[in-house]
Amino acid sequence: MYKALVIGGSAGSFQVITKILSSLPKNFPLPVLLSLHRLKHVRSGFVEALSIKSTIPIVEPFDKESIKPGKGYLAPSNYHMYIELNKRIALSTEEPVNHSRPSIDLTFETAAQAYRNKLIGIILSGANKDGAHGLKKLKQAGGLAIVQDPNECQVKTMTEASLKVTTVDHIFTTEQIINFLLNIK
Amino acid sequence: MILSDQEVQYFVNTISNSSNYDFSEYSDKSLKRRIHKILIDNNSDLITLINKIKSKDGFLDKIVKDITVNTTELFRDPQIWQTLKYRILPRFAKNKNINIWHAGCSTGQEVYSMMILLNELGLLEKAKIFASDLNTDALNAAKKGSYKYRFNIGYLDNFDKVIKENPFNYEEYNDVPYNKYFKIDKVTDVIQMNDFLKQKPIFRQHDLVKGGNLYFAKFDLILCRNVIIYFKYSLQNKVFKLFHEHLYTNGYLALGMHETMLGEITSKFDKKGQVYRKK
Repeated sequence: MYKALVIGGSAGSFQVITKILSSLPKNFPLPVLLSLHRLKHVRSGFVEALSIKSTIPIVEPFDKESIKPGKGYLAPSNYHMYIELNKRIALSTEEPVNHSRPSIDLTFETAAQAYRNKLIGIILSGANKDGAHGLKKLKQAGGLAIVQDPNECQVKTMTEASLKVTTVDHIFTTEQIINFLLNIK
Repeated sequence: MILSDQEVQYFVNTISNSSNYDFSEYSDKSLKRRIHKILIDNNSDLITLINKIKSKDGFLDKIVKDITVNTTELFRDPQIWQTLKYRILPRFAKNKNINIWHAGCSTGQEVYSMMILLNELGLLEKAKIFASDLNTDALNAAKKGSYKYRFNIGYLDNFDKVIKENPFNYEEYNDVPYNKYFKIDKVTDVIQMNDFLKQKPIFRQHDLVKGGNLYFAKFDLILCRNVIIYFKYSLQNKVFKLFHEHLYTNGYLALGMHETMLGEITSKFDKKGQVYRKK
């Protein structure tokens, strides 16, 4: 019944995200939209690093690329990644938001408009507040909001900020996130 | 506050009814976001803004400028500049002239990047550089060639990668001093391009939506980077047709790292990486 999964993460999320991507079944039924901050000098190589462990293909999409289930879409370095209502990717080089480009807020907010109550959103470890506002929008649009358990996060600023601005459906450890994703239809 | 599609439509219609500008084929999400930003910056609601657009002289032009996204960098994406340096520009070495058009040049950092690269290759003399943008404020900044040091400091790394280093031969290193091309003043926080570069380009205001070729020229190379991401597919195709018409056979079109050509028009180009060659 869900149509897409969107994940936001920053400092301390890389190991969590690789663990999640390596645990998904090859025929995972949803597209996975990834808006992850990276260090400024790590402009390339990130998609390759994620792909090594991932069971589903991960791409840095082209503008206007159409979104397919069972595939991961990583917001390219230095671009914001929006989801259009026609389920295509739209990229933008607009100014960073909250010092972030990609902005997790913007990916979550536009994904929420496109998928409404058919969207699952997960906020992982991170050192700033980006993503909190986006998760709130996702929740308001009827989506299912999950936050990584702050006690497990390497850096808990992002998850705590999210919990401050919105109610969520689950506070999960990495293991619980994986179990949950394995059971969605 | 979230703008509805109807409100965006209302805004677009107001602009097209009161001016020559047409944003109806701009990409939905980013257009909506730009309007939203304008409302916040002007501390205004949509109705008030639209009334002001209709009644206040010069306000519409200001709003049109605010719609456009003007982020650009010196040697953004070094890979593409390395491709230009080693694979594309040397092909023009025997030409009498080299015509290059930066379509949507914004504040001009890539125009200067191109001239620096051409100069290093000994091709600047025979190059004609054309640069256009919708936004006249951005064009004026491009003409000045003066940039904030602290915003551009990271991009000096890009300069080193493209101009000083050779990715195919790690032992090669050309120690080109920055002041050959620009002066850095850390106190006033300015990077100032040198006069011989500033005097070269022919800057013109041009709206890709309206098409047409304001230079009455054909081009060996067109750069249009991170512009068409703001356009819908239909408008992207019109712009690609415009470029196709005004490229010489075997001329090149360079797009942004994550921009691509889709549909029928692709059959008229050979694609290698982010660079398209007209068949």
